[in-house]
Amino acid sequence: MTHDVIMNNANAAANILIIDDDRELGEMLRDFLAPDHLALTACLNGEDGLKKLDTGNYELLILDIMLPGISGLDVLKRLRQQSDIPVIMLTARGDDIDRIIGLEFGADDYLAKPFNPRELAARIKAILRRASHGNQRSGRLELGTIALDPRTHRVTVDGTALRLTGTEFEILRCLLETPGEVVSKDQLNERALGRRLLPYDRSIDTHISNLRGKLEQAGSANASIQNQRGIGYMLIPGN
Amino acid sequence: MRSLLVRIFLSFWLIIAITIGFAALGGYYYSERIRQAIDDYEISDTVIAASTALDTEGRPGLELWLKDLPAQYPVTVFVIDQAGIDILRRHVPPRVARMLRRFAQHRNSSTGHRREPRNLRPARPLTQLVGPDEEVYTLFVVPKRSAYGEWLNEQTKSLMLLLAILVSASVSYALARAITRPVHRFRQATVSIAEGDLETRVADSMGRRRDEIGLLARDFDSMADKLQHASEQQIELSRNISHELRSPLARLRVALELARRQAGNLTEFTRIETEAQRLDSLIGQILSYSRLETRDHEAAEPVNLAELVQDVVENVRFECRSDGIDDVTVQFDPTCEPIVRGFAGALGSAMENVLRNAVYHSPSGGTVTVQLDQSADQASITVEDQGNGIPDDELDIIFAPFYRTRDAATKASSQGTGLGLAIAKRAILKNKGTIKASHASKGGLRIEIRLPI
Repeated sequence: MTHDVIMNNANAAANILIIDDDRELGEMLRDFLAPDHLALTACLNGEDGLKKLDTGNYELLILDIMLPGISGLDVLKRLRQQSDIPVIMLTARGDDIDRIIGLEFGADDYLAKPFNPRELAARIKAILRRASHGNQRSGRLELGTIALDPRTHRVTVDGTALRLTGTEFEILRCLLETPGEVVSKDQLNERALGRRLLPYDRSIDTHISNLRGKLEQAGSANASIQNQRGIGYMLIPGN
Repeated sequence: MRSLLVRIFLSFWLIIAITIGFAALGGYYYSERIRQAIDDYEISDTVIAASTALDTEGRPGLELWLKDLPAQYPVTVFVIDQAGIDILRRHVPPRVARMLRRFAQHRNSSTGHRREPRNLRPARPLTQLVGPDEEVYTLFVVPKRSAYGEWLNEQTKSLMLLLAILVSASVSYALARAITRPVHRFRQATVSIAEGDLETRVADSMGRRRDEIGLLARDFDSMADKLQHASEQQIELSRNISHELRSPLARLRVALELARRQAGNLTEFTRIETEAQRLDSLIGQILSYSRLETRDHEAAEPVNLAELVQDVVENVRFECRSDGIDDVTVQFDPTCEPIVRGFAGALGSAMENVLRNAVYHSPSGGTVTVQLDQSADQASITVEDQGNGIPDDELDIIFAPFYRTRDAATKASSQGTGLGLAIAKRAILKNKGTIKASHASKGGLRIEIRLPI
C-alpha cells in the first residue's frame, strides 16, 4: 500500500516552487531535481512567489531567507495565514537566529546555504512522503480534549479546529500515539522531518515549542507536552 | 544661563563678594556702634566716682554708690569682688562673665604686672579697683543693650548664622548638582555604550540646556549615532559577505553534483567537494568571529553552565562520530551547577571550539576530560586532552586568529580553520571571563575558562 503511494508520486512528479533571487542556482537545481520527478519552478522574489502559491499548484515551497523586497520571513508569515504547504527555508550557515525564527514562523525544515543538493532532494522527498503517508496511518487519536484525525488532517481542541503545520501535526500525532511515554528526539525527527537528528540541531525543540504554544492558546488545559532533558518529549494527560 | 563658565564664575563670585561685604559691613557697624556708645557715656567719670566711693567709705560706700546710680544711667555697671560675684548679687550676663574670665586669665599670665597702689587708672570698660582693705574689685562698664541695638542679641545672631549656612549651602548644592548630575548621566551612558547598547542617548535627559554640558550632550549623541551606524554597517557587511561568498559556493555545489551525474564519481569531485566545504566553514568561522565583536542587542541572561557544557559535549561527541573520529572519549561528570550571567550563544560557541580542538588533537584512544568547578565568585571549566601539548612559548599565542602551532604547521593535513580558539577567547571576553592555556598533568594541553558568577 505504502509502496503504491510512492510509485504514484514518482510518476506524477511533484510541483515544487523555489523563491530565491539567485536565478542560476534555481536553474541548476531544476536540472538536478528533474530526474527525481521533482518539477521545480523558480521565482525570484516574494511578491511573485506568493502570487504563484495562490494558484494552489504546488506541493512544497523552498524559500530563501534573504530576498530583495519582502524578506523570506515576511513571505512565510503571509503564507502561513492562508496555507499549510510544507516549507523548507534556506538560511545562511551560522545565522542560528534566522534558522530558529524561520521554524518559529512555521517553516517545516531548514537547510543552511551552501547546501549539498542531494541533501535538499532527500529532505524534499522526506516531507512529501510524510504528507502522502498521512492518510494511511491509524484512525482517530484522542487525549483529553485534543482530537486528531489523520484522514482529514484535522486537529481539534474542545471541538475547535487547530491550525498546525505539517511538521507540528506529525509531532502531535507521534506524541498522541503513546501518551505518557517519552518519545526520543531522534524518533520525532525521523517521523516529523524524515531525517536523522544532526549535531546542534534544535529544530524539533522549536517545533515543539510552537506546538505547545498553539495547544495552550486553544486551551488544552488537560494535556501538556513535557520535556525530558536529554531524552525527548512526552504528552501527559492532565487531571 | 547659557554658559557653564559664566554660571560657575558668577555663583562663586557672588557668594564670596556677598560674604566679604556682609562681614565687613557688619563688623564695621558693630564696632562703630560700641565705640560710639562708650564714647558717649563718659566711662572715666563712672570709674572716678566708683573709686572715690571705695576710697572714702570702703565696700559699703561702693555698694551704696552702685545702688544709687540713676535708672536712666546710660551704662550698666557691674562690680565683681574677688569671689567673682557682683557685690549687689545681681545676675552677671554671660557676656560679662566671659570678659571676666578672659581678664582673669590675662592677669594671671602676665606675672610681674603690679597693680598700681592708687586707683588712678586710664578709662576703659574694665577696671580694677583696690579697696582700703586691699580687696580687689573689678569694675565693668557695659553700654546698655538699647545703646547698640537689639539686632545683635544672642538669638538673632544664631538665626543669622543658620540663615547664612542655609543660603550658602543651598546655592553651593544647586551649583554642585548642576555639574555632577549631567556628569553622572554621562557616566551611565558611557558604561551602557561600552556594554553594547548603542541606542543610548543623553540629550533628552538634559532638558533644554544650552550651556557647555548641553553642547557636550549633543556631541555625545552624534558620536553614539556614528558608532551605531558603523556597527550596523559592519553587521550589514558581514551579512553581505556571507551572502555574496556563499551564493557562488552554493552554485558550485549544485554544479558539482550535476557534473558527477554526467561524468561519474571521480576522486577529484570528492576533493572539490571537501574544499568547498572547508571554504564554507572558514567563511562561517570568520563571520562568527567578527560577529562576536559587533555587539548585538541580546541581553545577558542566567546560564546554567552544567547544562550548557553537557549540551556541547553531546554535540561534539555526535559531530566526531559523523567526522569519523570514534575512538576519542569525552568525559564530563558535572558535580556542581554554577549559574553565570552571560550570553549562552557565545559561551556555547567558546566551549564548542575548545572541545573540538581538544578532540582533534587527541591521540587515537585518548580521553578528553572536561571539568566544571565552582567557587564563591567564579566558575571554571577545564578541558584537558592527552595530545602532544604545545611548547611554553606558544601557550599565549594559540588564541591569536589563524595561528598555527609549529607542530601543526609541519603536518600536511590541517584540521580546523585556525579560528576556533580565537573565537573561544573572544566569546569568553564578551562574557567578562578569562581563558588560559597550560600544560595538562598528563602532557597534553589544558585550557581553563574562568567566568564570574
